Amino acid sequence: MEQGLKSRVIVCLDVAHGRVVKGVNFKGLQDMGDPVELAIRYQEQGADEIIFLDIKATLEQRANALEVVTRVAENLSIPFTVGGGLNTYADVAQFLNAGADKVALNSAAVKHPDLVDEIAKGFGSQCVVVAVDLNQEQDQKTQGSSEYEVYINGGHTLTDLNAMQWLTEIEQRGAGEILLTAMHRDGTGFGFDNELMSQVSKKLGIQVIASGGASKPAHFTDTFLAGSDAALAAGMFHRGEFTVGQVKQELLNNGVAVRIEKLKY
Amino acid sequence: MSDSVIKEASKTVGVINTGAGNLYSLNGCLRRMGFYPVTINQPSDLERYDISALVIPGQGRFGTVMTNLKACALDEVITNWYRDNKKLVGICVGLQIMFEESEEDPGMAGLGLLQGKVTKLQSPKQPMVGWADVQSSEDWLNNQTLYFVNSYGVSDSDKSIATVTYGQTFVAAVASNNMIAFQCHPEKSGAAGEEVLKQCLS
Repeated sequence: MEQGLKSRVIVCLDVAHGRVVKGVNFKGLQDMGDPVELAIRYQEQGADEIIFLDIKATLEQRANALEVVTRVAENLSIPFTVGGGLNTYADVAQFLNAGADKVALNSAAVKHPDLVDEIAKGFGSQCVVVAVDLNQEQDQKTQGSSEYEVYINGGHTLTDLNAMQWLTEIEQRGAGEILLTAMHRDGTGFGFDNELMSQVSKKLGIQVIASGGASKPAHFTDTFLAGSDAALAAGMFHRGEFTVGQVKQELLNNGVAVRIEKLKY
Repeated sequence: MSDSVIKEASKTVGVINTGAGNLYSLNGCLRRMGFYPVTINQPSDLERYDISALVIPGQGRFGTVMTNLKACALDEVITNWYRDNKKLVGICVGLQIMFEESEEDPGMAGLGLLQGKVTKLQSPKQPMVGWADVQSSEDWLNNQTLYFVNSYGVSDSDKSIATVTYGQTFVAAVASNNMIAFQCHPEKSGAAGEEVLKQCLS
């Protein structure tokens, strides 16, 4: 939480084949609706930003994905980020030119770190978000928590990167923000890993978006008080358990400065 | 010509093509507000439309935008428009190029319509990304929560009409002649942003 800037509440949407989808227990993808309509619904609830992840922008689906991005750009009046499946400078240029405000790089940044520098130079740091998936496994011998491990490829592949060194390197290479997902919290509903968020947020000179584990408004209060600059959730909003407005009310009640969207009538 | 046609024509807004970013968000925002955005690529485009206001969009860095504008003689278009006291709106880098120079690209002259220099922000985190309240003596702008994305800014100006504080206090908006320019992005600032833009363009 930085003085002067509001704490940002971000909604994450998964998009495939031009539709919003959600994995149901990894068994399949469920059609949740039109990306533009859903994004506008969250905008009206007061979301400060929308992230479309896992856009499945493989070459066959590229035209489709780009068309969605342009429609979102024309209709949404808050910033939006697109990520997942962007591997090269040309991929990134295509999506930014189609109207995305920012791109999120994950595996591509690990495999080709220079890509972060190149995009920051070409388009500016403000449009480069690097997503980092960290997992903390229990140490079998000591029963204590182990170091954080960096995973790529949607959480399937362990890398030998040192987590803190990697986060620092991302900043040095010119990223504007870090989307930090605690995999060990993802889907648990236990709340964000605030020890991690606090540590990273204090260490870095760029903003940290907390991700993984939110299931109720109080979790947002906790992570902002711990130092996160922004926080992201998906399921709790998509399942209709809470609205963004409810989260913001909770934040206001706890003295966290947030933006209140004006209603248009 | 009927009244309704005249009214329609007065809603045409020229968006300067700075060659440094897409215009979807800005054009979409203008359309939602009931304006008709047309892209201005060269000086002669001004004669093709009955334009009520010019907007300089907010993407790109200082040097790139100035280089592109000069290459198309659009720098003169903006300067003349300003001197003729016509409605002009600048966004983000569109505010910065109103000034004389920028630390972002030393040696590159801005339009120099306003006195002063763009400097690197002394903000807690860089770039500044997010929503902040602006302070202004203008009622329509005061306490509006608007979206900022920038590493550079103008710390002070005699034409400042609004400020924002993030680590340091700097200029959030300037006004001079019939020009208003914002360091923030009203087109990305939800309903508040549209309200602010409407005030400038109506």
